[in-house]
Amino acid sequence: MHHLQHSGEVMSGTSCKANGAVYPASTTVMTTVKKPKMEQIQADHELFLQAFEKPTQIYRFLRTRNLIAPIFLHRTLTFMTHRNTRTNAKRKTFKVDDMLLRVEKMKGEQESHSLSSHLQLTFTGFFHKDEKPSQNSENEQSSVSLEVLLVKVCHKKRKDVSCPVKQVPTGKKQVPLNPDCSNQTKPGSLPSLLVSSNEFEPSNSHMVKSYSLLFRVLRTGRRDMNGLVNGEANENIDVTEVPSRKKRSSAHREDGETTETFVAQMTVFDKNRRLQLLDGEYEVSMQGMEDCPVSKKRATWETILDGKRLPPFETFSQGPTLQFTLRWTGDASDKSTAPVAKPLATRNSDGSSPVESRPSTLKSAPLSVKASVSTDIQMKREQILCEPRQKLRIFYQFLYNNNTRQQTEARDDLHCPWCTLNCRKLYSLLKHLKQSHSRFIFNYVPHPKGARIDVSINECYDGSYVGNPQDIHSQPGFAFSRNGPVKRTAVTHVLVCRPKRTKPSLSEFLESEDGELEQQRTYVSGHNRLYFHSDSCMPLRPQEMDVDSEDERDPEWLREKTATQLDEFTDVNEGEKEVMKLWNLHVMKHGFIADNQMNQASMQFVEKCGAYIARRNLCRNFLLHLVSMHDFNLVSVATIDRAMSRLRHIQEELPDAGADDQADRALMEGACNGTAIACSSGGGGGTKHGKRTKSSVTD
Amino acid sequence: MEEAPEAPVSDPVPALIPTPTPCPASNIPSRSLLEWRKRVKSEYMRLRQLKRFKNAEEVKALFMSNRQKIEERTNLLNEEWSKLRIQSVPLSTPGGALPGKKLCMVEFGFPAFKAQAVAMRPLTTVAGIPFMYSWSPLQQNFMVEDETFLHNIPYMGDEVLEQDEAFLEELIDNYDGVHGDREGGFINDEVFKELVEALSQYSDQEEEEEEEAAEEKGGKEEEEKGVRKSAGEGTEEAKVGPTAFFRRKRRSVIEVRDLAAKKKIPHDKIFTAIASMFPYKGTTEELKEKYKDLLEPPSPVKLPPLCTPNIDGPFAKSVQREQSLHSFHTLFCRRCFKYDCFLHPFHATPNVYKRKSKEIRMETEPCGPDCFLLQKGAKEFADQEMLRSQRPRRRRRQPRPPSSSCPGPSGTTEEAKEVDSDHETTSSSESNSRCQTPTKLCPGEEHGEQVGPPVQWSGAEESLFRVLHGTYYNNFCSIARLISTKTCKQVYEFAVKEVLIHRVPLEDGGSAPQKKKRKHRLWAKIQLKKDNSSNQVYNYQPCDHPDQPCDSSCPCVMTQNFCEKFCQCEHECQNRFPGCRCKTQCNTKQCPCYLAVRECDPDLCMTCGAADHWDSKVVSCKNCSIQRGLKKHLLLAPSNVAGWGTFIKESVQKNELISEYCGELISQDEADRRGRIYDKYMSSFLFNLNNDFVVDATRKGNKIRFANHSVNPNCYAKVVMVNGDHRIGIFAKRAILQGEELFFDYRYSQDDALKYVGIEREVDMA
Repeated sequence: MHHLQHSGEVMSGTSCKANGAVYPASTTVMTTVKKPKMEQIQADHELFLQAFEKPTQIYRFLRTRNLIAPIFLHRTLTFMTHRNTRTNAKRKTFKVDDMLLRVEKMKGEQESHSLSSHLQLTFTGFFHKDEKPSQNSENEQSSVSLEVLLVKVCHKKRKDVSCPVKQVPTGKKQVPLNPDCSNQTKPGSLPSLLVSSNEFEPSNSHMVKSYSLLFRVLRTGRRDMNGLVNGEANENIDVTEVPSRKKRSSAHREDGETTETFVAQMTVFDKNRRLQLLDGEYEVSMQGMEDCPVSKKRATWETILDGKRLPPFETFSQGPTLQFTLRWTGDASDKSTAPVAKPLATRNSDGSSPVESRPSTLKSAPLSVKASVSTDIQMKREQILCEPRQKLRIFYQFLYNNNTRQQTEARDDLHCPWCTLNCRKLYSLLKHLKQSHSRFIFNYVPHPKGARIDVSINECYDGSYVGNPQDIHSQPGFAFSRNGPVKRTAVTHVLVCRPKRTKPSLSEFLESEDGELEQQRTYVSGHNRLYFHSDSCMPLRPQEMDVDSEDERDPEWLREKTATQLDEFTDVNEGEKEVMKLWNLHVMKHGFIADNQMNQASMQFVEKCGAYIARRNLCRNFLLHLVSMHDFNLVSVATIDRAMSRLRHIQEELPDAGADDQADRALMEGACNGTAIACSSGGGGGTKHGKRTKSSVTD
Repeated sequence: MEEAPEAPVSDPVPALIPTPTPCPASNIPSRSLLEWRKRVKSEYMRLRQLKRFKNAEEVKALFMSNRQKIEERTNLLNEEWSKLRIQSVPLSTPGGALPGKKLCMVEFGFPAFKAQAVAMRPLTTVAGIPFMYSWSPLQQNFMVEDETFLHNIPYMGDEVLEQDEAFLEELIDNYDGVHGDREGGFINDEVFKELVEALSQYSDQEEEEEEEAAEEKGGKEEEEKGVRKSAGEGTEEAKVGPTAFFRRKRRSVIEVRDLAAKKKIPHDKIFTAIASMFPYKGTTEELKEKYKDLLEPPSPVKLPPLCTPNIDGPFAKSVQREQSLHSFHTLFCRRCFKYDCFLHPFHATPNVYKRKSKEIRMETEPCGPDCFLLQKGAKEFADQEMLRSQRPRRRRRQPRPPSSSCPGPSGTTEEAKEVDSDHETTSSSESNSRCQTPTKLCPGEEHGEQVGPPVQWSGAEESLFRVLHGTYYNNFCSIARLISTKTCKQVYEFAVKEVLIHRVPLEDGGSAPQKKKRKHRLWAKIQLKKDNSSNQVYNYQPCDHPDQPCDSSCPCVMTQNFCEKFCQCEHECQNRFPGCRCKTQCNTKQCPCYLAVRECDPDLCMTCGAADHWDSKVVSCKNCSIQRGLKKHLLLAPSNVAGWGTFIKESVQKNELISEYCGELISQDEADRRGRIYDKYMSSFLFNLNNDFVVDATRKGNKIRFANHSVNPNCYAKVVMVNGDHRIGIFAKRAILQGEELFFDYRYSQDDALKYVGIEREVDMA
């Protein structure tokens, strides 16, 4: 037994530690086959843990990354549409003018209600899932006592060392502990408190800086330290419960009798007298009173769990929370007409920003707002769902070497164990598991109490990269270093506009007999690889993808080649050479292919190179070129005329016309001839010792 | 790089062993000869040293300039990148070091020095990529000559060579030699000249001591001039080596009489000494002659015989039309529309005979109040000449006028004089013609108008007139407009003179072309060709057999090629391919072009769209993709199979052109030689084009060269006749999705290609 317990610790240190935070309602069960050789079993178990640890860690990391820098939003996936809380119903009737009306209306209401209204708090319950809701929990205390105080922080007076604080008790209530969410339909039966708005009026003695509500929960109750649970298990499996983690909230333990105090504070009006609490459903994370070091750290919006940084909303799946509905009512019994807070964040929306930044009060607690509207919609939707809204149990059965190694049970919890995504539906959960966690194989097995999911390692997991190929080659570890949006290589494409989808059915997750390998393999077509420049072998970056930079008709070396090749001629004069080079470059650039393009090509040539020809004093050579083209039957006489007149025109328009030009030209002529000699003696090896002659070309 | 490699210093040493001097008088100056030989040796060494130093400097300079180029380019790129919104490669900052960073320690044995430590910054690993030899991008084939010299002995790793030593020997046997072998220990012209010049200083001193001081001084000055000149020529002359043939040919033409007279040739002793040092370079006399040749300085007016002076330059001469246009005519490739193109080694000169006659029309309206047409008799003259010149002129290969084609012994100075005298003769003939001219110009009127100073015609203007006269005939207004410096009246007057002097010999261009009715046997012909030449495809070369129809002796007919628009035969030639008249896409065998495995010719197929929409990528004719370069965007990435692979960016339909397989066009012999090396490397980019040529994409090519072989490919290769050139098109064998790797069967023709494709054999064996 001792051995087993020990290995259980190890296990929770690996796979379960990773998802322990995710798994508040899970039962951690370790199963082993009864065999005498404990060492072997243990070694085997080690292997099992190792096999599952790596993918779990990877998915754990990816989850965090997706929270910080999401690649996609889950709600856009077809099987996750229920996560999308928006409706487009209003779009049809939408008018731009309505926006102004609505804002104005909202403003008026806000002003009016702030004066004459009560603050109504209806408490849904106190949730503390620190321990498992065991079956014998019914025997225990099912409610806690809640005290609500209105804290008035006043302005400092001259003598005061610190701000005077007044605490006005508003009432005590018994609030159900861990109530079942499904029976919360009767709001009338729930405990509620009323805070008169008069309380928020400035008091006489002190100028009140800010008002806040302080919730204090006192909880007394017995606790089963061992918490041994006979969960649903196969007959041949020993069931052992191991405390998955240490209690985090402080507890006075006296023979199983504990009294715990949890507090939370929320600002109603801040020091600028801005209303901070709008109508809505709230869930407040409570703090254990004595947990001082932690609470200090909680003063910021960071949440630290086991030394790891967690997103702020992690606490809601962890710590004790208090749920209540807040309403500003003109009349104590009236239904509110007050503005409804926008659903800023739901419990499971990953990576959303904190609701508000709060001035540092004594103890600030993370807070989230659940808009009643969104819940309504959700409720409606959930009624449509095919799945019965009952306690759904999901048994994750971890298989290794075809043996069940561990079974974990989730009750009414459709969060993905690896990335805490609330899938809300079994189908969505299964689909998500299959799609996002392909390092495992998931097989769905119907179960009378819910579902069993067999989890095993995907041996054929194709590590081939299906993401942005650019990220492979960029420096490792810098995946988040980009600042702002950058262009990515298009890896995925929307292929079909309205694809025909098969009706979602759980049967698709059943273990298939044949072609399983094919199913596991992710086949991606398209540009799922890194390309390289053909000239430099440097990786092709996404923004270079669309231009074929290496397919030019006249690469630089070829342009240079044609020039040097012409320069090599010893019996071609420099004027001819220059015109020939210009023309060659022109032809190479445009890639003319037909005789009947030549007239047009010649005119283009004049337009492009005319100024250069005139400046370099090559007009007559150009004329010779045209006449030669005519001799080859490639251009008409009319083209010669037109080209030459255009050239004369360009020549006249040259900026440095006149005497300056004359001098320039004389200089150019001299230089031209001079350089030609130098060049031909320099480039070709002397006028007479040339490399090539044109006669050798013809003969 | 063509620099003659330096001779190993040890090479001249064997020559030092006293060889029996051929000189019969060797006994006389035995002391002085020995002295001279010593001088020769020391000077030679010095010069070599100098040259080596200079070479090193040049290499350095070149290296630096390349570095600079790279830097410029990098800066340009960086600038460009900084503008784009891109993901920058993050640099790890040295400051923000992790605490656990390793330190690199250097410790000294001496206690005086402190150990130094610096944080280690390991570079991140970068994924490796397949091996690639560098190559140059190309979008059209590039013809290269056979390499009879092996440029380098290929290195394939020590193992390969050890295993197969015979291979290298065999390889070298295939070539005439290895580059650089012969040039060792060889005293080239440049060194020779410098050597003589250096030695002549000794001789000056000696002779000063002895006698005839005065005469030698003049010579010395000359020498010094020569030294300066040769310094300028220096390096370039080293390149001359392989082209010695041309030079010799040229030299026989150009004599250096005048210079020889002026220049003082150094003492014979020098040449004797050199001859004894380097006996294989020739006798004393030969060396002396050679030196004289080398002394000939480059002069601005002296140009090679076929080179006409720049018509836009100050030394433009009055030359014949043929001469003015010679460079343009000979270098222009009528097939590529380029001068000295990369693909066709031989260019046909224009076929003047085939000029479109409709263009020759006479201007009837005077161009202005001073138009020559208003002159009496001018119109008649023009018309008359018109008729004459309209007669078919003998086409090309006209013998060059003797004055220009073979200047013979007359130097350029003389030629310049000749021009002058030309002027004189013209003026004299002009005066003669006044009464005798058949154009019946009234001398009185002429005189009346030419009161002013006689118009001066520069050489360029005269040449230009002759050029234009050949095109525009007697449209003097047009000619004047093009010359722009002369009025039409002046042009007309000049023309009148010209007629008397340079009368173009009129030849009747044979009998009028017989217009045979074309028999529509095209289909049969194509079919016949297909049947006959399953494997025998020969390269096309435009035929040129004047006055003979394309019969069985015509090269086109013999090689079973059609005559193309580039042939010199008549348009009505039986063997010409007429093009198609399709109105559809030309992608079925209904199209004669497609049937004959030809792309539609934009100058023949006027209805299918091959001749339209030059700028657009959308052409109705689907049979002109190669010529238009309508290739697909290809990408390079490591292959899924082996090495590099070619991937396609966008999806393509079946039978669409993917790319042309480009490379160097080499002869079959050359391919054999290269193939031997490629086979050893196990990678070959050789692709058989036809019976004469092979495309080799090893050194030059395009991205399709990386496409791998497969027996179940998605592409196929097809050799298509494209406007007279055989080209290899790679087409889609089926619809291909984006991002797919491209493969084709290297054995597009079972027999030929296999021989050259190393990889293929490798694959078959495996």
